[in-house]
Amino acid sequence: MSSAGLVSTVWQRELVEFTQRRHALAIKLAYPVVLGIPLLFSRVPASDAAIALTMLVGLTSALGTGAVLSRERASGLALRYRLLPVRPGTLLIERLGVYAAIDVLQFTPLLVLLGLRHPEAAAFWPALVVTVAASMLAGNLLGAFVSTLSRAPAEVMLYTIIPLLAAFYLSGVFVSPQQPAMVVISRLLPFTYLHEALLGSLGAGASLAPWEAFMDGFGFIVGSLALTGLLGRRIAEAG
Amino acid sequence: MTSTKAGTASAPSLRAEQVWRLYRNGTGVVDISLTLAPGELVALMGPNGSGKTTLLRVLATADAPSSGTVAWFGSRDRRSPSVRRRLGVVLDQASHFEEMTGYQNAWFFARQFGLSAQTARSRLEELFHWIGLWEARHKVVREYSLGMKRKLNLIEALAHRPEVLLLDEPTLALDYRAELDLIERLQLLSLTGTATLLATNDVHLAERLCHRALFLHEGRVVRDGLVGSLLAELGGSKELELDVHSPIALDEIRDLAGVEAVDVRGTTLKIMLARGTNPATVLAILDGSADLVSGLRVRQPTLGDLFLKLTGVALEPPLPSGDARASFPLPSEEGQGRGSQRRP
Repeated sequence: MSSAGLVSTVWQRELVEFTQRRHALAIKLAYPVVLGIPLLFSRVPASDAAIALTMLVGLTSALGTGAVLSRERASGLALRYRLLPVRPGTLLIERLGVYAAIDVLQFTPLLVLLGLRHPEAAAFWPALVVTVAASMLAGNLLGAFVSTLSRAPAEVMLYTIIPLLAAFYLSGVFVSPQQPAMVVISRLLPFTYLHEALLGSLGAGASLAPWEAFMDGFGFIVGSLALTGLLGRRIAEAG
Repeated sequence: MTSTKAGTASAPSLRAEQVWRLYRNGTGVVDISLTLAPGELVALMGPNGSGKTTLLRVLATADAPSSGTVAWFGSRDRRSPSVRRRLGVVLDQASHFEEMTGYQNAWFFARQFGLSAQTARSRLEELFHWIGLWEARHKVVREYSLGMKRKLNLIEALAHRPEVLLLDEPTLALDYRAELDLIERLQLLSLTGTATLLATNDVHLAERLCHRALFLHEGRVVRDGLVGSLLAELGGSKELELDVHSPIALDEIRDLAGVEAVDVRGTTLKIMLARGTNPATVLAILDGSADLVSGLRVRQPTLGDLFLKLTGVALEPPLPSGDARASFPLPSEEGQGRGSQRRP
C-alpha cells in the first residue's frame, strides 16, 4: 500500500480535505482577488477600500469555520474528533491554525496585488500580513464558538454576522472612535489593527505606526492561540 | 461486582459508580453502577430511549456524567489521551470523512490512536480482509453503503487493539457473514483480555456472545446478571407467538392464569406463559375464531422475554407509525394500539 494520500495528523487531514474539494478551492482562492481588484485598481477611496477589505477578511475567517463545525456536529464527525486521544485545546489549535493558514493563503494573491499597487507603503506590509493572520485566527475562533450555539450552518451565518458587525464598528472600521472608552475597546479588537494596516498599505492615513500595528497584530496571534486552547474543551464538547 | 467467566479476579477495566446523565427533556440515565472486567463480554439491552446510547457516550468519554464517577483503568480523567488510546468505540452514527477513502479514514484513526506506520499497515490489511472491505478500500466513503460504513467503524475501533470495546448496535446493517465474523472476533478478543460492552437488542447475539447482560429501562438498570442465570429465571416458561389478522380478545388472554405478559407488535401477538401453563388454554379462547390466526409458534424464552416480563416493555424497537393499521387492539384498548401489558 503506497503511503500517498495517507494522512496521520489532524492538520494534514484538514489540508487534504481543503485540497480535495477542487471546485470549492478554486472559488475560495479566486473570490478575494475578484472582489479586491476593483477596490485596488479603481477610484474607490483608500479609506473605503480599507473598510471593505477589513470586512472581507473578518467574514471569510468566521463564516467558513462556523459552517464547517456546525455541519460536523450534525453529521457526528464532531463526536469522532471528541474521542480522539488528543486534548481538546490542542486539537482545536491544530484545526483552527490550519484553517487560518489556509485563509491567509487565500488572501495572499490579493495582498501581493496590493503591494504592487502601492509600493510606496512597503513599511506597512509586514504589519498587514501579521494583522491579517491575527484576524483570521480570531475570526476562526469566533466561528468555532458560534457553531456551538447553533444547530445548522445557516444559523451560524446569522449568529456570526451579528457580533462581527458589532466588532467592526467597535474597531473603528466605519467611524474612528472618539470617546476614551471607545478607543480602549477598539484597542482590544484585532480588526482595529488590520484596518490600520490596510489604511497604511493603501496609502491612506493610518493612526498607528507600522511597527505598532505589527506588534499588536503579533500579540493577537499569541492571544488568539491561547484563547483557542482555553476554549477547546467548551467548543469540542458542546452539543 | 458480578463474577464472570472471564477475568473474575482481575481489576476492572472500567468502573462506573452511581452515574447520572440527564438531558433537559428528562431522559438519560439514572444511578447506573457497573463494572467491566478484562475479557468480559456484556450486553447492554433496553428498548429505544432506555438510555443505552447515553450510557455508552459517558463510558466512551464523549460526555461527562452529571453526577457519579467513571474510572477507566483506574483513571477518572476522561480526556486523558492514554485512556482514550485504550478504548475502541463504535457509536450509533457511522460518521467518517466522506471525501476520503475508507483506507485513508482507517489509516488516520489508526495513526491517531498511536500505531506506527508499519503496524497500521499490517493491521489494516488484516482487518480490511477480515471484514470484506479490502476491494472497496480505495473508494471514497461517500460512495459506501451504510453496512460498509459500519464495517469501517469496526475496523477503526479494532485496529489499535483496545482493552475496552464499547459498541452501539455493532451488527446493525451488517450482512450475516460479517456478523458471524464479528462474533468470532469478539470471542477471541475476550480470550485475550479485551472487555466488551455492546448495546444491542439482538437477544440471539447477546445470548450467543455475552457472559453477562444488563437490562436498562427508562434510564435505570433493572437487572444485571449472567446470561445463563437470567435465562434460568425463565426456566419452564414458554412464549406463544400468534400471527393474527383480526382483533382478538386480549383482555381475556391477559387475565388467564399462567399468562405473564402480552405484547402486541403489528399483527404479531406474543404471550409469555409461566411454567406448566398449557398453550392450549390460550388457544381455547380463540375457539370459534381460530381462522383469525394465520400462524402459531411456541418458542423457548429469550432474554427479550425476561425483559418483557420484568418491565412490560418489549426490546424490539416500536414499529413506524404508518404500521398502526396493522395492529389489532380490542375496542377497549383503542388508543393504545399496540404495546405490552404485564399482569399486575
